[in-house]
Amino acid sequence: MRAGGVTLCVAGVLTAAVLGAGFAVQKALPTPPHTSQTAIRAATWFERYRLVESTFTLGDGPAVHGTCLQDWFVLNGHRRRGAALRLDSGFVLLAVPPHTLEARGGTVVQGATSPLVLLELGGCPRVFARRLSTLAAEHRGLTQTGNTLAFDLKGTRVTLTLDPQSGRPLALRVVTSAATGVSRIRFTAVTTQRRRELARGLPVYES
Amino acid sequence: MATLEQVGSAPLERAGASAWRLGALAWITGWWVAGRVVVVAATLVVHHFGPSGWIRHVQHAHALGPLEAWDGRWYRIVASSGYLLVPGRQSDPAFFPLYPVLMRGVHTLGAGYATSGLILSNVGFLIALVAFYALTHALLGDSMARRATAYLAVFPFGYTFSMIYPESIVLALIALAALAAMRGRWGWAATCAAAAALARPEGLFVAVPLVALAWQQRETLSRAKRGLALGAVLAPLAAIGSFSLYLGHVLGDPLAWSQAQRAWGREFRPLGAVHAIEHLGTAFSRDAWVVRDVVAVVLYLILLVVAARAGVTWPWLLSGLAIVVLPLFSGSFDSVSRFGLLAPALFWGLAALGRDPRVNRLVLTISPLLLAAAIVTLPLRFP
Repeated sequence: MRAGGVTLCVAGVLTAAVLGAGFAVQKALPTPPHTSQTAIRAATWFERYRLVESTFTLGDGPAVHGTCLQDWFVLNGHRRRGAALRLDSGFVLLAVPPHTLEARGGTVVQGATSPLVLLELGGCPRVFARRLSTLAAEHRGLTQTGNTLAFDLKGTRVTLTLDPQSGRPLALRVVTSAATGVSRIRFTAVTTQRRRELARGLPVYES
Repeated sequence: MATLEQVGSAPLERAGASAWRLGALAWITGWWVAGRVVVVAATLVVHHFGPSGWIRHVQHAHALGPLEAWDGRWYRIVASSGYLLVPGRQSDPAFFPLYPVLMRGVHTLGAGYATSGLILSNVGFLIALVAFYALTHALLGDSMARRATAYLAVFPFGYTFSMIYPESIVLALIALAALAAMRGRWGWAATCAAAAALARPEGLFVAVPLVALAWQQRETLSRAKRGLALGAVLAPLAAIGSFSLYLGHVLGDPLAWSQAQRAWGREFRPLGAVHAIEHLGTAFSRDAWVVRDVVAVVLYLILLVVAARAGVTWPWLLSGLAIVVLPLFSGSFDSVSRFGLLAPALFWGLAALGRDPRVNRLVLTISPLLLAAAIVTLPLRFP
């Protein structure tokens, strides 16, 4: 019994030592940059919601209310994920990678504005989630100043304003060589009725 | 009492043993150089002439750029910036910590992270060859040790031993853990086994031969040594536990590594191996390179059977089988060709086949060619 006790005791001490030494060795690794952690929190918000409401202005133009829905769409018989942005001016933008980008309605300015800028100002969640995750994982291309987080996205410079407590994106600013826009965004849960309203006239996949 | 003759011959024997060791070391180094010359030459060809594929960003960065590709990027990120879990996406907690910790260590001496990784892997492989030779020599004799070591040095999938991957370090640690245990140095066995598991999850399976060795020595070990032996068997598990503990501390999720593995399509299920085989057709239509890993699995299983017939003991066979078969339970054949490099029994099986001089010549002729060809595929498929 005593012999077994000594054996178990030595084994226990060695196992605990390995556990402790292993932990200590890993402490030699740096903790990830705060900026990357902030970006992951923001990306998680964008991942969590499929519907974002926004109020934005583009240059000196009037304030516009927008709604962006991330959903499944059926195009040429294929089911694909994409985004539909509706503005209160009647403008509708359907963006379904890899080949579909359709715009109709709205003002001349909206029709002439880069679809990416409109998707960004509309707060379309997947656009930001993917980019933020990539940059965070690679620890590059992110600049945090207080509760703002800036990064580049395909020729645009995006600055997100985040809630200091939860890290939730509240507003954003998009700057390109041609225009500057600012937007306030609000994450919203998708209800069946809301989805039906937003999907009107669009090839949304119905399961 | 020793006779005068014996007393006089002892220093000669020691000198002889020392000369033999030096000779073996020189021979192993020669094979290491030969294998790595093939790797470097093929890498230069890939750098200058392609093919063009997924690793363009490092392929043309500098002469040895292709050796930094694929997981090397992730190990560099961990070494330079630590762990960060990106939910639902591929992120770095899938990569075990010892190798980036060592990269960081070499980096403090002034080398860049990529250079640190290349130095570690290649020097680690020389150590692995020496330790593997010593282990094989102790278990199966000199001729088997020589053949197995030479085959390992030029093994076609062994280009990973020169990349920013931890395989060479882990193989060295597995062999050193077993050697230490065979010599009754259980403290060292525990250290090496724990380090192996902290570098790659396959390091866990060194516990199987350690259990058998501890059981064999149970009558001769003191109570304290028995405790050390038991501790050495548990050490790999404790090391993996320490990784979970660390991830819990840094990321608030002790299972972050398994979550990150899922984003790489690796989720272990009881019927995962069945799914991997069932969906082979789909996997092939998506990416024909899966054939490489399927061939590797079949080859490895055959080599394990040959090793069993050649008298390799069951703990090594079981450990090798776990390394080859368990990844299939994640539902995929991906990278099994690389994982198998950590199963010494496979090379013992190959060395047993090499007893036939014709097979020996064939292996030593074909392997370096396949090794070079495998490197040329680097831009097209991850190891």
